[in-house]
Amino acid sequence: MAVADLELNSSITQQKERSLWQKSMDRLLRNKLAVISGIFIILMVLVAVFAKQLTPYTYAEQDLIANNAIPKWMLFIMPEGAENYANFSDKFPLAADHLGRDLLTRTIFGARVSLTIAFAGSLVSLLIGIVYGMISGYAGGRVDNLMMRVVDFLWAFPFLIVVILLQTYFKAIASRSGGEGMGGAFINLNNQMGGLLFLFIAIGLINWLGMARIARGQVLSYKQMEFVEAAHALGANDTRIMFKHLLPNILGPLIVAETMAIPGYIFTEAFLSFIGLGVNAPTPSWGIMIQEGVQALRSYPNQVLLPAIALSLTTLAFNFLGDGLRDAFDPRQIDK
Amino acid sequence: MRKRLLALFSVLIVGALVLSACGGETVVETVIVEKEGETIIETVVVEKEAEAGEIPVTLNLNLGTEPPTLDPSLATDTTSVDIQENLFIGLTNFNPVTNEVEPYLATSWDIAENADGEQTWTFHLRDDVPWVKYDPISGETTQEVDADGNPRFVNAYDVEYGVKRTVDPATGSDYAYVTYVIKNAAAINGGDEELTIDDLGVKALDETTVEFTLEYPAGYFDGISTMWIVKPMPAWAIDEWGDKWTEAGLIVTSGPYVLESWIHGGELSLVKNPLWIAADSVQIERVDFVMITEASTSFALYENNELDSTGVPLPEMDRVKADPVLSEELRIAPVPCTYYYGFTNSKPPLDDVRVRRAFSQAIDRQSLADNVLKGGQIPATSFAPPGIFGAPEPGTVGLGYDAAAAKASLQEYLDEKGMTIDEFNALDVVLMHNTSEGHARIAAAIQQMWADVLGVTVRVENQEWAVYLDTLKNTTPLEDMPHIWRLGWCADYPDENNWVHEVFNADAGANRLRREAGEFDALTAAAGIEPDPAKRAEMYAEAERLLTEVETAYAPIYHYTSVNVSKPWLTRNFPAIGGIDIYNWTVDMDAKLAAQ
Repeated sequence: MAVADLELNSSITQQKERSLWQKSMDRLLRNKLAVISGIFIILMVLVAVFAKQLTPYTYAEQDLIANNAIPKWMLFIMPEGAENYANFSDKFPLAADHLGRDLLTRTIFGARVSLTIAFAGSLVSLLIGIVYGMISGYAGGRVDNLMMRVVDFLWAFPFLIVVILLQTYFKAIASRSGGEGMGGAFINLNNQMGGLLFLFIAIGLINWLGMARIARGQVLSYKQMEFVEAAHALGANDTRIMFKHLLPNILGPLIVAETMAIPGYIFTEAFLSFIGLGVNAPTPSWGIMIQEGVQALRSYPNQVLLPAIALSLTTLAFNFLGDGLRDAFDPRQIDK
Repeated sequence: MRKRLLALFSVLIVGALVLSACGGETVVETVIVEKEGETIIETVVVEKEAEAGEIPVTLNLNLGTEPPTLDPSLATDTTSVDIQENLFIGLTNFNPVTNEVEPYLATSWDIAENADGEQTWTFHLRDDVPWVKYDPISGETTQEVDADGNPRFVNAYDVEYGVKRTVDPATGSDYAYVTYVIKNAAAINGGDEELTIDDLGVKALDETTVEFTLEYPAGYFDGISTMWIVKPMPAWAIDEWGDKWTEAGLIVTSGPYVLESWIHGGELSLVKNPLWIAADSVQIERVDFVMITEASTSFALYENNELDSTGVPLPEMDRVKADPVLSEELRIAPVPCTYYYGFTNSKPPLDDVRVRRAFSQAIDRQSLADNVLKGGQIPATSFAPPGIFGAPEPGTVGLGYDAAAAKASLQEYLDEKGMTIDEFNALDVVLMHNTSEGHARIAAAIQQMWADVLGVTVRVENQEWAVYLDTLKNTTPLEDMPHIWRLGWCADYPDENNWVHEVFNADAGANRLRREAGEFDALTAAAGIEPDPAKRAEMYAEAERLLTEVETAYAPIYHYTSVNVSKPWLTRNFPAIGGIDIYNWTVDMDAKLAAQ
């Protein structure tokens, strides 16, 4: 694992701190799959950001007459006999759903939800995880023991059940909203975000545990090193040592771990939306679209196909990128 | 080694599949074989030839959900009632075609008015319907015997017991209010301490005669007499087993079928009652129910010949209609049920009639029926569907789709309050439905209609059925109530009293709408005791008009149809009152086995 290896090669890390990042970057760029995945993710981000400009319709706009409409060329993926019941229309480039909403538009706007979850989820878990793990590792002794037992304790909860409980709880609060006070403001914000805020909180609250453990382990191994002692000797205070000296050194493995965790966040959102605890209708998310599409699987397989492809490609891309990053940050690869 | 084991397993699995796939029945038998002087016990798989008569005539259906109860006093939902109709005999029954009340346990009944304005209904019962119990171990159905060893038959005392049990507040029946037409029922059920259960207006005069005394003349009481809550019930079994008396092996029943097994949340099986009075005319010997919630899964099972009849999920309608085979098997029949959105009339901003009217008039019901539901549903503008006594013709009473009027109505409200549409949206109006694929689709469509016509954003929420019913109780604090909520109502008996009065009357029903009692409530109460049918019908039409056009206390959406597909080997009917009367159906078992 990267954690242990870095320790072995600590002398290299110290001497060429700047160039380690550069070398890693070079190695990453040589990994074709990772580069393609990176480009794909950047493209998805652009698509999500400019969703409004890219789509001719809004995601909620419905044309009931054109329900389940498909363009003619799509017949080849339809089941036998589809030409007898399909509602042909060229109005929608990649067909429409059961309420006559453009599937392409909804998939593009769905990317917003999934990518926001991916980045907000990782941001929340990185922030909490790094701070918590570093404090725990740096303080050591009883504090460390106590803080890590809390993590162990939380780790023992089944993740999905906790997220479901949190979501149910938030939704219950939301439904009795009077729109007053801080709670009211919170709930209004959540409604404006289509129910995303509570998803961030639920996912972020649970996922920092792994980050905290990695951060702590890294800090434990680095804080024994000479450069930390040197900083101490120069009179740097603890905060400065932690964030100025230790953080840059431990960031690599954390970023790798976080990238690998992102598909999990996207799946969690999709899953929660699938069982009706995700974003609020009519905000599209790939999970909701897949859930709606599955019901029509036997008649209109195209409706589940588009969001499913989008979801698979995106999670694959994050996985490949994570793989590439891990290899890039792996010091054993330095001479290759 | 591991690989070999794996290979062996797969052979076994394939073997099992092959075996179960052929028509004959495969049975695992334990046999004792003598080999070289030693006796060995072996387990062998024997394939039995499928012989006519050996496989019972079986019907496979999906119940959709676990029936909440099989206790006739406690049932409030269609799933429970559907099973009970096949397990217990009732006083009377609806003719499945004409929807007229027919003799069942009661062979005839007389109506008399007495001096106090009360009415007495005297039912004369047949004496040959046995109480039976199924023994799951021996697989036999036997007649119950009393303490002296005499066989038990359903009698008038069982009817009296059943009605009293429903009315008794200790039973906790949510449907007891239907019996309030019986003398003193309302007071006793309400916990009036001056009356005892024996003051109830029901009395068995002898073994075969039971007399009901009503508070006022109620022409629709024959309809109530068909209902499950006044069925005869076995006092001795209920006393012995308490809440558990409806479990398989304990339940004592009186109908065409007996309960063979009930695996909660999984499966439920009925077998034919050989002692039933009309056992010869009951063709289906065995009914296996599964409990699958997802309509799409249920439909897939049907296409795979594992179910004989099922509902058609919304997304499959186009394909079913176009498919040469499935379209032949499709049957769309009207059922007396109405789908509606209730407004919480005391919760702002729905406390203003103009807002409610705007929401109701912005729903394009015709488009919803044609493009989303696709099952020939009738757009509803009033509550009771056609076929119910006193129901107005659809479209003659109430508010239909009128975008301009809806917009104007909301604008008037906004102007008066000095609100912008954004401020209105900040009030966070919630539309809630119980969790289901179909309800979610309808809600999404209507949510967007409101957004298009009114510019209003409404948040859609859903809750699981039991939780949802709890939320809608009128004891729920107002802040926990959704502003708008979805419910359906199906006829218990074909009379308007069962509709506008029992559902919406603020004094009589559950008052989920949170209305203040007014003109409407006085009118439906008066219509209930009005003896002249023509005048009653007029009063109900006026009540329907008041509630929709004047108060707009709720928004009727459509009248249901049952959209079903049935395999060609199943001959089934669709009773006009709804429900499933399996004892009238037949299955061509040879054709069914051939298809499998």
